[in-house]
Amino acid sequence: MDYNEAELLAVLLSREVRDGEISACGALSQIPAAGLLLAQALHAPNAELIILNSVFNPFHTSKPFHFLAQRGELGLFFASGIQIDRHGNYNLHQLSPDREKPIARFPGGYGGGLIYYCARRTVVFRTEHTRRSLVEKVDYISAAGSSPPDVLRLGNPSKAITPKANFRFEKDEGLLRLDTIHPPWTLDDIQANTGFDLGLNGPVKATPAPTSEELHTLRQVIRRKMIDSGTYAEWARKSLAGV
Amino acid sequence: MGVPYVPIIGLVGTDILKRRDDMVIAVDPFDGKTKSVVAKALRPDVAVFHAQMADRQGNVSCGYHAEVVMLAEASRHVIVTAERIVDRLTEKEATGAFIPSIHVDSVAHAPFGAHPAGCQGVYSPDKIHMRQYVIASQDDTSFSEYLRTYVHDVRDHDDYVERFVPLDWRQPAQAVVG
Repeated sequence: MDYNEAELLAVLLSREVRDGEISACGALSQIPAAGLLLAQALHAPNAELIILNSVFNPFHTSKPFHFLAQRGELGLFFASGIQIDRHGNYNLHQLSPDREKPIARFPGGYGGGLIYYCARRTVVFRTEHTRRSLVEKVDYISAAGSSPPDVLRLGNPSKAITPKANFRFEKDEGLLRLDTIHPPWTLDDIQANTGFDLGLNGPVKATPAPTSEELHTLRQVIRRKMIDSGTYAEWARKSLAGV
Repeated sequence: MGVPYVPIIGLVGTDILKRRDDMVIAVDPFDGKTKSVVAKALRPDVAVFHAQMADRQGNVSCGYHAEVVMLAEASRHVIVTAERIVDRLTEKEATGAFIPSIHVDSVAHAPFGAHPAGCQGVYSPDKIHMRQYVIASQDDTSFSEYLRTYVHDVRDHDDYVERFVPLDWRQPAQAVVG
Protein backbone atom coordinates (compact mmCIF):
# COMPACT_ATOMS: atom_id res chain seq x y z
CA MET A 1 0.00 0.00 0.00
CA ASP A 2 1.39 3.38 -0.89
CA TYR A 3 -1.22 5.39 0.98
CA ASN A 4 -2.10 5.80 4.62
CA GLU A 5 -5.42 5.13 6.30
CA ALA A 6 -6.50 8.77 6.37
CA GLU A 7 -5.85 9.07 2.65
CA LEU A 8 -7.72 5.85 1.93
CA LEU A 9 -10.75 7.00 3.92
CA ALA A 10 -10.71 10.48 2.37
CA VAL A 11 -10.70 8.91 -1.11
CA LEU A 12 -13.49 6.46 -0.24
CA LEU A 13 -15.64 9.22 1.23
CA SER A 14 -15.01 11.47 -1.78
CA ARG A 15 -16.52 8.82 -4.05
CA GLU A 16 -19.84 9.17 -2.22
CA VAL A 17 -20.21 12.83 -3.22
CA ARG A 18 -22.48 13.50 -6.19
CA ASP A 19 -22.08 16.44 -8.52
CA GLY A 20 -24.66 19.19 -8.11
CA GLU A 21 -25.70 18.20 -4.61
CA ILE A 22 -25.13 19.95 -1.32
CA SER A 23 -22.82 17.79 0.81
CA ALA A 24 -21.76 18.48 4.37
CA CYS A 25 -19.80 17.32 7.37
CA GLY A 26 -19.88 18.39 11.00
CA ALA A 27 -17.32 19.58 13.52
CA LEU A 28 -14.06 17.67 14.04
CA SER A 29 -14.34 16.05 10.62
CA GLN A 30 -10.91 16.19 9.06
CA ILE A 31 -11.29 13.15 6.84
CA PRO A 32 -14.73 14.05 5.45
CA ALA A 33 -13.52 17.61 4.87
CA ALA A 34 -10.67 16.26 2.75
CA GLY A 35 -13.08 13.88 1.01
CA LEU A 36 -15.51 16.68 0.15
CA LEU A 37 -12.79 18.91 -1.26
CA LEU A 38 -11.31 16.01 -3.21
CA ALA A 39 -14.66 15.18 -4.79
CA GLN A 40 -15.15 18.79 -5.81
CA ALA A 41 -11.71 18.83 -7.42
CA LEU A 42 -12.28 15.58 -9.31
CA HIS A 43 -15.76 14.43 -10.25
CA ALA A 44 -18.15 16.88 -8.55
CA PRO A 45 -17.17 20.41 -9.66
CA ASN A 46 -20.72 21.66 -9.04
CA ALA A 47 -21.07 20.15 -5.57
CA GLU A 48 -21.78 22.69 -2.87
CA LEU A 49 -19.82 21.95 0.27
CA ILE A 50 -20.56 22.78 3.87
CA ILE A 51 -17.61 22.09 6.14
CA LEU A 52 -18.44 23.22 9.65
CA ASN A 53 -15.90 25.45 11.41
CA SER A 54 -14.12 26.36 8.19
CA VAL A 55 -14.26 28.96 5.43
CA PHE A 56 -16.27 26.40 3.46
CA ASN A 57 -19.43 27.20 5.37
CA PRO A 58 -21.94 29.84 4.32
CA PHE A 59 -23.56 29.93 7.77
CA HIS A 60 -22.53 31.49 11.06
CA THR A 61 -24.71 29.33 13.28
CA SER A 62 -26.13 25.84 13.19
CA LYS A 63 -29.71 27.06 12.80
CA PRO A 64 -29.69 27.82 9.05
CA PHE A 65 -27.81 24.59 8.44
CA HIS A 66 -30.40 22.55 10.30
CA PHE A 67 -33.22 24.34 8.53
CA LEU A 68 -31.60 23.64 5.14
CA ALA A 69 -31.44 19.97 6.07
CA GLN A 70 -35.05 19.97 7.28
CA ARG A 71 -36.14 21.40 3.93
CA GLY A 72 -34.60 18.33 2.29
CA GLU A 73 -31.88 20.29 0.51
CA LEU A 74 -28.97 18.34 1.96
CA GLY A 75 -27.90 15.53 -0.35
CA LEU A 76 -25.16 13.93 1.67
CA PHE A 77 -23.92 14.13 5.24
CA PHE A 78 -20.86 12.46 6.73
CA ALA A 79 -21.31 11.32 10.31
CA SER A 80 -19.16 9.35 12.69
CA GLY A 81 -19.87 7.43 15.84
CA ILE A 82 -17.83 5.81 18.56
CA GLN A 83 -19.91 2.67 17.93
CA ILE A 84 -21.92 1.61 14.87
CA ASP A 85 -24.28 -1.36 14.92
CA ARG A 86 -25.71 -3.66 12.25
CA HIS A 87 -28.99 -1.75 12.27
CA GLY A 88 -27.22 1.43 11.21
CA ASN A 89 -27.59 3.04 14.62
CA TYR A 90 -24.62 5.02 15.83
CA ASN A 91 -23.53 6.13 19.26
CA LEU A 92 -21.92 9.46 20.00
CA HIS A 93 -22.99 9.70 23.62
CA GLN A 94 -21.57 7.18 26.06
CA LEU A 95 -19.99 3.79 26.51
CA SER A 96 -21.21 1.38 29.13
CA PRO A 97 -23.27 -1.77 29.41
CA ASP A 98 -25.07 0.00 32.26
CA ARG A 99 -26.68 3.10 30.86
CA GLU A 100 -26.78 4.85 34.24
CA LYS A 101 -23.06 4.35 34.84
CA PRO A 102 -21.17 5.45 31.72
CA ILE A 103 -17.47 4.61 31.68
CA ALA A 104 -16.87 7.27 29.05
CA ARG A 105 -18.98 10.12 27.76
CA PHE A 106 -18.72 11.86 24.39
CA PRO A 107 -20.08 15.13 23.02
CA GLY A 108 -23.34 13.49 21.94
CA GLY A 109 -25.75 16.14 20.90
CA TYR A 110 -28.94 16.31 18.96
CA GLY A 111 -27.57 17.27 15.57
CA GLY A 112 -26.79 13.76 14.36
CA GLY A 113 -30.17 12.40 15.43
CA LEU A 114 -31.87 15.10 13.35
CA ILE A 115 -29.60 15.16 10.31
CA TYR A 116 -29.75 11.35 10.00
CA TYR A 117 -33.46 11.80 9.18
CA CYS A 118 -33.00 14.82 6.94
CA ALA A 119 -29.99 14.34 4.64
CA ARG A 120 -31.01 12.21 1.68
CA ARG A 121 -27.96 10.03 2.29
CA THR A 122 -25.77 9.79 5.34
CA VAL A 123 -22.46 7.96 5.21
CA VAL A 124 -21.26 6.88 8.63
CA PHE A 125 -17.52 6.44 8.85
CA ARG A 126 -15.25 5.12 11.56
CA THR A 127 -11.46 5.25 11.69
CA GLU A 128 -11.32 2.00 13.65
CA HIS A 129 -12.63 -1.33 12.39
CA THR A 130 -12.78 -3.56 15.46
CA ARG A 131 -15.28 -5.53 17.46
CA ARG A 132 -15.56 -2.70 19.94
CA SER A 133 -16.48 -0.11 17.30
CA LEU A 134 -18.67 -2.28 15.03
CA VAL A 135 -21.07 -3.90 17.46
CA GLU A 136 -24.28 -5.92 17.45
CA LYS A 137 -26.07 -3.20 19.38
CA VAL A 138 -24.75 0.24 20.33
CA ASP A 139 -24.70 1.13 24.05
CA TYR A 140 -26.68 4.28 23.33
CA ILE A 141 -28.61 5.21 20.18
CA SER A 142 -27.67 8.79 19.28
CA ALA A 143 -29.05 8.44 15.76
CA ALA A 144 -31.42 5.73 14.57
CA GLY A 145 -30.74 3.88 11.30
CA SER A 146 -34.37 2.93 10.73
CA SER A 147 -37.73 4.32 11.64
CA PRO A 148 -41.32 3.08 11.35
CA PRO A 149 -42.91 3.80 7.95
CA ASP A 150 -45.39 6.31 9.36
CA VAL A 151 -42.63 8.53 10.79
CA LEU A 152 -41.59 11.58 8.78
CA ARG A 153 -38.15 10.89 7.38
CA LEU A 154 -36.50 12.53 4.37
CA GLY A 155 -33.43 10.35 4.01
CA ASN A 156 -31.56 7.33 5.28
CA PRO A 157 -28.12 5.95 5.97
CA SER A 158 -26.49 4.80 2.76
CA LYS A 159 -23.14 3.35 3.80
CA ALA A 160 -20.76 2.70 6.65
CA ILE A 161 -17.10 3.07 5.74
CA THR A 162 -14.10 1.90 7.77
CA PRO A 163 -10.38 1.47 7.03
CA LYS A 164 -11.07 -2.17 6.15
CA ALA A 165 -14.42 -2.31 4.36
CA ASN A 166 -17.53 -0.64 2.99
CA PHE A 167 -20.95 -1.65 4.25
CA ARG A 168 -24.13 -0.72 2.40
CA PHE A 169 -27.32 -0.01 4.29
CA GLU A 170 -30.28 -2.04 3.04
CA LYS A 171 -33.20 0.20 3.83
CA ASP A 172 -35.89 -2.45 3.44
CA GLU A 173 -34.19 -4.77 5.91
CA GLY A 174 -32.83 -1.97 8.09
CA LEU A 175 -29.45 -3.71 8.09
CA LEU A 176 -25.84 -3.01 7.18
CA ARG A 177 -24.39 -5.61 4.83
CA LEU A 178 -20.75 -6.03 3.88
CA ASP A 179 -20.34 -4.45 0.45
CA THR A 180 -16.66 -4.38 -0.51
CA ILE A 181 -13.37 -5.13 1.24
CA HIS A 182 -10.39 -2.80 0.92
CA PRO A 183 -7.27 -4.66 -0.26
CA PRO A 184 -5.18 -6.14 1.24
CA TRP A 185 -7.76 -7.14 3.86
CA THR A 186 -9.58 -10.44 3.47
CA LEU A 187 -13.01 -11.71 4.43
CA ASP A 188 -11.38 -13.48 7.39
CA ASP A 189 -9.99 -10.15 8.62
CA ILE A 190 -13.40 -8.55 8.36
CA GLN A 191 -15.14 -11.43 10.12
CA ALA A 192 -12.55 -11.43 12.90
CA ASN A 193 -12.89 -7.69 13.48
CA THR A 194 -16.62 -7.09 13.11
CA GLY A 195 -18.96 -7.56 16.07
CA PHE A 196 -22.03 -8.34 14.00
CA ASP A 197 -23.22 -10.69 11.28
CA LEU A 198 -21.94 -9.47 7.91
CA GLY A 199 -25.13 -10.44 6.12
CA LEU A 200 -23.27 -12.20 3.34
CA ASN A 201 -25.33 -13.49 0.46
CA GLY A 202 -22.68 -14.04 -2.16
CA PRO A 203 -19.06 -13.27 -2.94
CA VAL A 204 -17.77 -9.90 -1.76
CA LYS A 205 -15.82 -7.72 -4.18
CA ALA A 206 -12.67 -5.79 -3.47
CA THR A 207 -12.96 -2.03 -3.09
CA PRO A 208 -11.25 -0.31 -6.03
CA ALA A 209 -7.98 1.00 -4.59
CA PRO A 210 -7.32 4.76 -4.61
CA THR A 211 -6.12 5.74 -8.06
CA SER A 212 -2.95 7.68 -8.67
CA GLU A 213 -5.11 10.63 -9.79
CA GLU A 214 -7.05 10.58 -6.53
CA LEU A 215 -3.93 10.31 -4.42
CA HIS A 216 -2.03 12.90 -6.41
CA THR A 217 -4.87 15.43 -6.17
CA LEU A 218 -5.33 14.72 -2.47
CA ARG A 219 -1.64 15.21 -1.67
CA GLN A 220 -0.86 18.07 -4.01
CA VAL A 221 -4.05 20.10 -4.37
CA ILE A 222 -6.28 19.33 -1.39
CA ARG A 223 -3.50 19.28 1.20
CA ARG A 224 -2.37 22.73 -0.01
CA LYS A 225 -5.95 24.01 -0.06
CA MET A 226 -6.59 22.85 3.51
CA ILE A 227 -3.37 24.36 4.79
CA ASP A 228 -3.91 27.68 2.99
CA SER A 229 -7.55 27.99 4.07
CA GLY A 230 -6.91 26.94 7.66
CA THR A 231 -9.16 23.91 7.28
CA TYR A 232 -7.67 21.34 9.66
CA ALA A 233 -4.33 22.66 8.42
CA GLU A 234 -2.13 20.80 10.89
CA TRP A 235 -3.92 17.54 10.25
CA ALA A 236 -3.65 17.98 6.47
CA ARG A 237 0.05 18.77 6.73
CA LYS A 238 0.72 15.55 8.61
CA SER A 239 -1.85 13.13 7.24
CA LEU A 240 -2.09 13.88 3.54
CA ALA A 241 1.56 13.36 2.85
CA GLY A 242 1.72 9.72 1.85
CA VAL A 243 3.13 6.87 3.91
CA MET B 1 -40.82 32.38 18.52
CA GLY B 2 -43.33 32.42 21.34
CA VAL B 3 -45.14 29.27 20.24
CA PRO B 4 -45.97 26.45 22.70
CA TYR B 5 -44.20 23.68 20.75
CA VAL B 6 -42.47 22.95 17.45
CA PRO B 7 -42.32 19.84 15.29
CA ILE B 8 -38.84 18.56 14.49
CA ILE B 9 -37.64 15.93 12.05
CA GLY B 10 -35.66 13.06 13.52
CA LEU B 11 -34.85 11.61 16.94
CA VAL B 12 -37.51 8.87 16.74
CA GLY B 13 -35.81 5.63 17.79
CA THR B 14 -32.98 7.29 19.70
CA ASP B 15 -32.21 6.92 23.40
CA ILE B 16 -32.32 10.70 23.69
CA LEU B 17 -36.11 10.60 23.49
CA LYS B 18 -36.33 8.11 26.36
CA ARG B 19 -34.94 10.68 28.76
CA ARG B 20 -36.97 13.68 27.71
CA ASP B 21 -40.48 14.37 28.85
CA ASP B 22 -40.54 17.64 26.87
CA MET B 23 -40.40 15.79 23.54
CA VAL B 24 -43.13 13.46 22.35
CA ILE B 25 -44.10 11.76 19.10
CA ALA B 26 -47.20 13.34 17.60
CA VAL B 27 -49.37 12.89 14.53
CA ASP B 28 -49.42 15.59 11.87
CA PRO B 29 -52.76 17.37 12.47
CA PHE B 30 -53.13 18.10 8.75
CA ASP B 31 -52.68 14.69 7.17
CA GLY B 32 -53.77 12.77 10.26
CA LYS B 33 -51.12 10.06 9.92
CA THR B 34 -47.47 11.13 9.58
CA LYS B 35 -45.63 11.12 12.90
CA SER B 36 -42.78 13.27 14.08
CA VAL B 37 -41.33 14.56 17.31
CA VAL B 38 -42.87 17.64 18.88
CA ALA B 39 -40.69 19.59 21.30
CA LYS B 40 -42.15 21.73 24.06
CA ALA B 41 -40.97 25.33 23.97
CA LEU B 42 -38.19 26.29 26.35
CA ARG B 43 -39.11 29.30 28.45
CA PRO B 44 -36.20 29.89 30.85
CA ASP B 45 -36.85 32.09 33.89
CA VAL B 46 -33.38 33.57 33.74
CA ALA B 47 -30.65 33.52 31.11
CA VAL B 48 -27.11 34.55 31.99
CA PHE B 49 -24.46 34.83 29.32
CA HIS B 50 -21.26 36.62 28.49
CA ALA B 51 -20.82 39.08 25.62
CA GLN B 52 -18.02 41.08 24.05
CA MET B 53 -19.67 44.44 24.48
CA ALA B 54 -22.69 46.06 26.07
CA ASP B 55 -23.88 49.61 26.70
CA ARG B 56 -25.53 51.41 29.59
CA GLN B 57 -28.99 50.89 28.15
CA GLY B 58 -28.56 47.14 27.87
CA ASN B 59 -27.85 46.84 24.16
CA VAL B 60 -25.51 43.92 23.63
CA SER B 61 -23.03 42.91 20.94
CA CYS B 62 -22.17 39.25 21.02
CA GLY B 63 -19.37 39.53 18.51
CA TYR B 64 -20.63 36.63 16.45
CA HIS B 65 -23.98 35.41 15.15
CA ALA B 66 -24.82 33.51 18.24
CA GLU B 67 -27.75 31.39 19.30
CA VAL B 68 -27.79 33.51 22.48
CA VAL B 69 -30.08 35.90 20.60
CA MET B 70 -32.80 33.24 20.70
CA LEU B 71 -31.95 32.54 24.32
CA ALA B 72 -32.40 36.22 25.19
CA GLU B 73 -35.72 36.37 23.35
CA ALA B 74 -37.04 33.23 25.03
CA SER B 75 -36.07 34.03 28.63
CA ARG B 76 -38.16 36.04 31.07
CA HIS B 77 -35.09 37.71 32.57
CA VAL B 78 -31.73 38.26 30.93
CA ILE B 79 -28.47 39.08 32.69
CA VAL B 80 -25.45 39.85 30.54
CA THR B 81 -21.83 40.09 31.60
CA ALA B 82 -19.55 41.86 29.14
CA GLU B 83 -15.87 42.35 28.40
CA ARG B 84 -16.43 46.04 27.70
CA ILE B 85 -19.10 48.54 28.63
CA VAL B 86 -19.52 51.41 26.19
CA ASP B 87 -21.67 54.47 26.47
CA ARG B 88 -23.87 53.78 23.47
CA LEU B 89 -24.03 50.77 21.20
CA THR B 90 -26.08 50.67 18.02
CA GLU B 91 -26.83 47.73 15.80
CA LYS B 92 -24.40 49.11 13.21
CA GLU B 93 -21.51 49.02 15.65
CA ALA B 94 -22.26 45.52 16.80
CA THR B 95 -19.88 42.97 15.40
CA GLY B 96 -22.04 39.97 14.69
CA ALA B 97 -25.16 39.44 16.76
CA PHE B 98 -26.96 42.39 18.28
CA ILE B 99 -29.43 42.03 21.12
CA PRO B 100 -31.52 45.15 21.67
CA SER B 101 -31.94 46.33 25.23
CA ILE B 102 -35.64 45.49 25.23
CA HIS B 103 -34.66 41.86 25.97
CA VAL B 104 -32.04 42.65 28.60
CA ASP B 105 -32.62 43.27 32.32
CA SER B 106 -29.10 43.79 33.66
CA VAL B 107 -25.59 44.28 32.39
CA ALA B 108 -22.43 43.80 34.42
CA HIS B 109 -18.86 44.62 33.51
CA ALA B 110 -16.86 41.42 33.87
CA PRO B 111 -13.59 41.29 31.93
CA PHE B 112 -12.55 37.67 31.33
CA GLY B 113 -16.03 36.63 32.32
CA ALA B 114 -15.89 33.69 29.93
CA HIS B 115 -12.70 32.25 31.44
CA PRO B 116 -11.68 29.40 31.25
CA ALA B 117 -13.71 29.25 28.04
CA GLY B 118 -12.89 31.74 25.29
CA CYS B 119 -14.53 34.96 24.17
CA GLN B 120 -14.40 35.13 20.39
CA GLY B 121 -12.22 37.91 19.07
CA VAL B 122 -10.94 38.76 22.54
CA TYR B 123 -9.27 35.64 23.93
CA SER B 124 -9.10 31.92 23.25
CA PRO B 125 -9.98 29.19 25.73
CA ASP B 126 -7.43 28.66 28.51
CA LYS B 127 -6.25 25.25 27.41
CA ILE B 128 -4.23 24.52 30.54
CA HIS B 129 -7.17 25.30 32.79
CA MET B 130 -9.53 23.34 30.55
CA ARG B 131 -7.30 20.30 30.85
CA GLN B 132 -7.39 20.61 34.66
CA TYR B 133 -11.16 20.90 34.51
CA VAL B 134 -11.49 17.75 32.40
CA ILE B 135 -9.24 15.80 34.76
CA ALA B 136 -11.07 17.16 37.81
CA SER B 137 -14.47 16.22 36.45
CA GLN B 138 -13.65 12.51 36.29
CA ASP B 139 -14.80 11.84 39.85
CA ASP B 140 -16.84 13.53 42.54
CA THR B 141 -13.96 14.10 44.95
CA SER B 142 -11.69 15.85 42.50
CA PHE B 143 -14.60 17.83 41.11
CA SER B 144 -15.58 19.06 44.59
CA GLU B 145 -11.98 20.11 45.03
CA TYR B 146 -12.13 21.99 41.72
CA LEU B 147 -15.32 23.77 42.76
CA ARG B 148 -13.83 24.69 46.14
CA THR B 149 -10.75 26.21 44.54
CA TYR B 150 -12.32 28.03 41.61
CA VAL B 151 -15.83 28.81 42.80
CA HIS B 152 -16.63 28.54 46.52
CA ASP B 153 -13.38 29.94 47.89
CA VAL B 154 -13.29 32.85 45.46
CA ARG B 155 -14.28 36.19 46.99
CA ASP B 156 -15.59 37.85 43.83
CA HIS B 157 -14.93 38.18 40.11
CA ASP B 158 -11.91 40.46 40.57
CA ASP B 159 -10.40 37.94 42.96
CA TYR B 160 -10.97 35.19 40.36
CA VAL B 161 -9.33 37.19 37.57
CA GLU B 162 -6.41 38.14 39.79
CA ARG B 163 -5.75 34.56 40.82
CA PHE B 164 -6.70 32.44 37.82
CA VAL B 165 -6.58 34.40 34.55
CA PRO B 166 -3.07 34.23 33.09
CA LEU B 167 -1.18 37.47 33.70
CA ASP B 168 -0.24 38.06 30.07
CA TRP B 169 -3.92 38.00 29.07
CA ARG B 170 -4.95 40.98 31.10
CA GLN B 171 -3.76 43.78 28.84
CA PRO B 172 -6.67 44.39 26.43
CA ALA B 173 -9.77 44.19 28.61
CA GLN B 174 -10.71 47.55 30.07
CA ALA B 175 -13.95 49.35 30.46
CA VAL B 176 -14.39 52.32 28.21
CA VAL B 177 -16.10 54.91 30.33
CA GLY B 178 -17.78 57.56 28.27
